[in-house]
Amino acid sequence: MKTAIEAPANVQSSRNKSMKSTITWYLFLLPTFLGIACFIVYPVFESFRLSFYNSNGTIETWVGFSNYERVLGQSAFWNAVYNTFYIAFFQLLLAIPIGFVLASMINRIHRFKSLFKVLFFLPNVTSIVAAAMIFMFILQPEVGLMNHILDTLGLQTSPWLSDPATSKWGVILLTIWHWIGFVIIICLANLQAISPELYEASEIDGATSLQQWFFITIPNMKGTFAFLLIMGWISGLQRFQEIFVLGGAGGSPSRSLQTMVALIYERGFGGFEFGIASAITVLLFLIILLFTVFNLKLTRLKL
Amino acid sequence: MIEDHKKKQKLVQIILFLLLIIVAFIVVAPFVWMVSISFDRMANIQVPFPPTFIPDLFSIFNYELVFENGRIFSAYLNSAFVTFCSVVLQVLAALLGGYAFSKGTFKGKKLLFIIVLATMMIPIEARLIPLYSMFNAAGLLNTFWPVILPSILYGFGVFLAKQFFDQIPDSLREAAQIDGASEFRTFFQVYAPLAGPITATLVILSFMGNWNEFVWPLVVLNSERLHTIPLFLASFSLENGTSLAGMTMALATMSVLPIIILFVFLQRYIIQSIALSGLKE
Repeated sequence: MKTAIEAPANVQSSRNKSMKSTITWYLFLLPTFLGIACFIVYPVFESFRLSFYNSNGTIETWVGFSNYERVLGQSAFWNAVYNTFYIAFFQLLLAIPIGFVLASMINRIHRFKSLFKVLFFLPNVTSIVAAAMIFMFILQPEVGLMNHILDTLGLQTSPWLSDPATSKWGVILLTIWHWIGFVIIICLANLQAISPELYEASEIDGATSLQQWFFITIPNMKGTFAFLLIMGWISGLQRFQEIFVLGGAGGSPSRSLQTMVALIYERGFGGFEFGIASAITVLLFLIILLFTVFNLKLTRLKL
Repeated sequence: MIEDHKKKQKLVQIILFLLLIIVAFIVVAPFVWMVSISFDRMANIQVPFPPTFIPDLFSIFNYELVFENGRIFSAYLNSAFVTFCSVVLQVLAALLGGYAFSKGTFKGKKLLFIIVLATMMIPIEARLIPLYSMFNAAGLLNTFWPVILPSILYGFGVFLAKQFFDQIPDSLREAAQIDGASEFRTFFQVYAPLAGPITATLVILSFMGNWNEFVWPLVVLNSERLHTIPLFLASFSLENGTSLAGMTMALATMSVLPIIILFVFLQRYIIQSIALSGLKE
């Protein structure tokens, strides 16, 4: 019971009261659920419906599964899926371990901790659009910063974004630069949450710092890696902004950068093929769903 | 022996510090290079080579060009307006929702909360076309409404606010209700004033998210007059490619400036709130 003084009221009025209180709580939730109804539920169902129509926004004709057949039979679709996964995979594969090692280093030094946190996190607060613009020049083959440094170190230079064979690696570098600060901050927060008693106990047993790192720190960070993996995949599968700035909706050179979202954008707003774009959307959505369930199962992350 | 141990510790500290400094320099270098090119008089004709971190011919010429064009100012204003409205909506809705899920007792609470969490998994990309058609039918394309209105749903904010209110004791509510305060009064007069820290976190996260938002505004704001900062940048960049390095970098510098200033002043809170988003219970 909520109130300390409860009048011996009859059942009817008590039911009225709880009814009234429930309505009050629903009012608190009204803005959020209005948003869910208008901007999530309706659009998701509408996307699904549209994927069975041939539509340009005004004229609609039912075509059944033919949009899906067309999409799945197109090399453009599979190319976009491949590019999306390729970039996201290498971004995660490199950024999570590097970020974790850097976080472990920051965690161990006694001074300047917050200075490094700020410096490493700086790229993450800048818009990815601005970051992509800067990288367009950094990765420029002749006068760019990157090739100059590689050349000075005696390493092989690369055409980066101007060649389809290497352009994805240019984007991977950009995404790692932009994301690594996030990885470091999340790792640091969770490193500090590991109980110090674990380290003290192992120290008595004579463990070295490196042994501690391998046998205490890394196992205790499993949940953190799982979180980063899931966040990374969800955002990686939605990649668009940097692609759009660097290579337009087509993902040039020669579609080597086009991602799934870029393809949706190109079909939907370049060609006004809403049915086709919706079919790609539903497929993207299914992939995100499958992947997230798979990742949750794989990492046994409790949400 | 203890002396030796201390010496070794000190050496480890110095090595770690030096390594971190090198990596930090690599991370920050793109910004330094961007600023350097933006102040280089000749950069629009020829990107300075070999690359330098101090401009050869220092000048504010590129900034003059950017200001002369004037579109940067309207982009700033548009971004500020859209961001402000979205942040207000998001934070208010998140606090109200989080409070209800934390303190409320009502039918379907668990299920509704799961629905709110599930919304985080559904990206804007999966809704782009129907949302576009919807706002098109309402005649609201090329206005700020389609950018602002969907902000009202902020699943992650509701989640963070709930976590916060869970930590504030229920006894305050009981006291207020004995005094006859309604649920809304209790929220606004008792709990909202205590919600300063979470409000700050929500404002920061929501501000950064909305200021940098790109895909959805790109779809609904076709008119150049309405372009926000990221849209203006992208359209400039697409028009000019890798030519006009000086102007491009001056623009990029101008565009990241507000968020970097904000970050420098609020970095402790920003970093805390990001860390909070990834902490397990």
